[in-house]
Amino acid sequence: MSNILVRTILAYLLIFGTPMILPVMFIKLVGLGGLRDLVTYEARDTPLHKLDPRLKVLYPIAMGVLSIVLNWDFMLIVFGLTVLPWFWLRPSRSKVRVLMVMVIGPALAGFWSQGLYYLPPPPIHYIYQFPWTISWMGSPGITGYGMVFGLQQSARVLVTVSTSMLILISTDVGDFTWAFERFRMPPQVGFALTAALRFLPDMISRTTLVLRAVELRGYDMSRPRWFQVRLWPDYVKRLSRCIVIITVPLLVGSLRGTATMAMVADARGFGVNRRRGSLQEHPTTKYDIGGYVILVLLVGGAIVLNHFRIGARPY
Amino acid sequence: MTRCGRGRVISGNPELVAEDVSFAYLGATTAALRHIELPVSAGEVLLITGVSGCGKSTLALVLSGLIPSRVQGELRGRVMFDGKPLSGLKPHEASQLVGMVFQNPNLQLINQTVQSEVAFGPENLALPHAEIVSRVNWCLDVTGMAGMRKSATVTLSGGQKQRTAIAATLAMRPRILVLDEPLSDLDPVGAQEVLATLQRLARHEGTAVVIIEHRVDEVAPWADRVVLMDGGRVLLDQPPKVAWADSAVWARTGVGVPDVVQLAQALPDAFGGAIPLSVEEAAGQLADSWLVPALAQAATARAGAAALEGGNGVINGQPGSATPVLSWEAISVDFGTVRAVNDVTLAIGEGESVAMIGANGSGKSTLTGLAVGMGTPSAGQVFFRGHPVQPGKVFEHAAQVALLLQAADEMLFEETVIAELRFGTKFRALPPDPVLDVQGAIDFFGFTGLEQVSPWELSQGGRQRLALGALLVGAPGVLVLDEPTTGQDAEHMRSFLRLLAAVRNRTGLTVLAVTHDIRGLASRAERIVLLGDGQVRMDGPTSRVLARTDELKRWGVLSPPLARLQVQLLGHCDDVLLTVGEMTAAAGAYRDAHAPAAGRP
Repeated sequence: MSNILVRTILAYLLIFGTPMILPVMFIKLVGLGGLRDLVTYEARDTPLHKLDPRLKVLYPIAMGVLSIVLNWDFMLIVFGLTVLPWFWLRPSRSKVRVLMVMVIGPALAGFWSQGLYYLPPPPIHYIYQFPWTISWMGSPGITGYGMVFGLQQSARVLVTVSTSMLILISTDVGDFTWAFERFRMPPQVGFALTAALRFLPDMISRTTLVLRAVELRGYDMSRPRWFQVRLWPDYVKRLSRCIVIITVPLLVGSLRGTATMAMVADARGFGVNRRRGSLQEHPTTKYDIGGYVILVLLVGGAIVLNHFRIGARPY
Repeated sequence: MTRCGRGRVISGNPELVAEDVSFAYLGATTAALRHIELPVSAGEVLLITGVSGCGKSTLALVLSGLIPSRVQGELRGRVMFDGKPLSGLKPHEASQLVGMVFQNPNLQLINQTVQSEVAFGPENLALPHAEIVSRVNWCLDVTGMAGMRKSATVTLSGGQKQRTAIAATLAMRPRILVLDEPLSDLDPVGAQEVLATLQRLARHEGTAVVIIEHRVDEVAPWADRVVLMDGGRVLLDQPPKVAWADSAVWARTGVGVPDVVQLAQALPDAFGGAIPLSVEEAAGQLADSWLVPALAQAATARAGAAALEGGNGVINGQPGSATPVLSWEAISVDFGTVRAVNDVTLAIGEGESVAMIGANGSGKSTLTGLAVGMGTPSAGQVFFRGHPVQPGKVFEHAAQVALLLQAADEMLFEETVIAELRFGTKFRALPPDPVLDVQGAIDFFGFTGLEQVSPWELSQGGRQRLALGALLVGAPGVLVLDEPTTGQDAEHMRSFLRLLAAVRNRTGLTVLAVTHDIRGLASRAERIVLLGDGQVRMDGPTSRVLARTDELKRWGVLSPPLARLQVQLLGHCDDVLLTVGEMTAAAGAYRDAHAPAAGRP
């Protein structure tokens, strides 16, 4: 009896441990302030900053395609290739910390969830088999096969995440708009991205301010210690109520800001011409040519290999 | 049309004319503007002032063509630019004639870097690359932002953001620039930099500049014309010296008059009947006046009194009280690689009224935030009545230290006034000896009969009062105010200062105010702490700290005009008189003692 009890407790810990660690890790290491840092452009004078914006827009798309079509062995190479430019960029320490959490978090989640739910063909070898008492969760146990599969899937996602973040940090949004125009996309697409990237940090700052204001007004947002189990339901309840409380001031403030921003955009002539001028000229440099060649070789190579069933992802 | 401003003649036909303009917002029962007649000529600097809600910002939207194109309502009359109606133009066409800079620079900086922000307009107009580069370079040069062209806009200070917003508007090459409260987020030195930029534009580029502002003291020396509005009408439109000659109309509307003007009106014989607009002008007019020995006599008397009390009262970086209610001990705060607060030791005594001043980014808000557990010091410890303040425990410490944020609107969460006042008591039991209970707050803050009204139906001043009242329901030991008078007109500012004095009289609360409002809020504090580059640079009685005009300026703070005037006239003084009333009293005492010399009959 005691054996089944211990096994049940252990199973619950294994299932719920990781999902509980992830938000704690996010709050402790990133928080709202960190999230703001994540999408903030870092003005530097690196060759990466000077690359043709069109190449920068194509880069995450191309790497994302590679991550889908290639098998795990080749995926490792692609993953390695997407990490290398970060050493070239040398982002600030605060960004590296946030990025690490944003990378490790999904990797851990994928690794763990697939370990629980992705089952290999029989015979199945469990690292830990759950007792019948937890069968309602739908997972018979943790398998190494599932974990490896989860890691592969996470790496595929992270290729796109990593390349997109690299580009966001090293590209002024004005350059994105320029690139979108050269791709014959409507200027509104570029403007939507510009507005989102510019005002997301402000929105996060305002949320932080309102959360502080609600505490200053006497609302208890203090978090119990991890072992104060009986206090956690009340904390979750308070947190949920707080979301309702802060929604109105956040909405009111955002709507006011949006009206002003729309007037500013109108006054600056946004949307009056389908083609826009540009402060930046982006003459093609040797770095751009190199980048295009590498990109074409990578995508072309992957397609050719795929055709010959080399490095192709099994379906 | 010819108008005179400080001897300069502005001539030629007005470029922009509001002809019998009236406007009512959609659904409003009263008109925001009534029969406005206003000409604006090239190269002039026009100050439009008036109490909150008098229609200034609406007039700005009309002048810039955003009414009626982007704001709905009923517009009568017309705005003509060079003889053509502005209302027929699209916003981007109008903005190449009349550029509008909104109050909050954060909401009008759309792009990520300074240069891309400035280039945004010309890029939208599909101008050739060379023209865009030329415009961007010119705008950045003229606004003094060329050195920061590649900086991310989120990293800029308030003044830099404001100058970037002006540069971005100028890039549309408007012939008239309309600015709605451009100084509201700026420290006094930053404000002077922006005003100098605007005057340079007017004088060298011929751009007409229309400034809508409450801070008349600071704008007065730069303006060629002053327009006073009240109830949607133009009450007065004159060159500054003429405009302020009639003090009755200003008093009737409750709009502030520059201190030097008030002094000249209180002591006309000392000024020879002239109206000065700046400290320098006033000092010139008073150089040979009997007021100088009168002020010297008063300064000597105060120095004698101070000597009897012991010391000159100015201390630097030392604790100010033996039994502090709030103290910061060897506090440092780092944000990444930047040290925002550097080894600050400071104490606030029970019942004291202290103003914390300093330039933008000097560490004021960081330091006060620590008092309620907002933020974590890199070194040192904050104490409330001898107990350590734990970082992050805002809920616990907010019961002891009430912090009113600058954005008081963000502190309102309920649907009615009474619910707002009860908000804190829902989560925390009311102490047995509250500073105010809910009913007491309703009576004291004037909400009787408004209990069931939505906070959003109150005026801006009313919402601030409500937020303050809600914070005081409980038993805080200290009231901390973060820029409480920013963006408020003179009447609201006076009301707030009266309210604050009444709160102190009733509750005996310790008050710490972080402020750029040196002339109003800081001058009424008993003690001033000056922060510069994250350190306490001066700490002492208000009248003595404000006498150190050069030292204050070095740290980005301008002393009030009357203090600067006394220092200019006397060369040096340890202690200054802070109000027109004090100065006229000193003059009266001198005249009583030296009647024949003062030329009194």
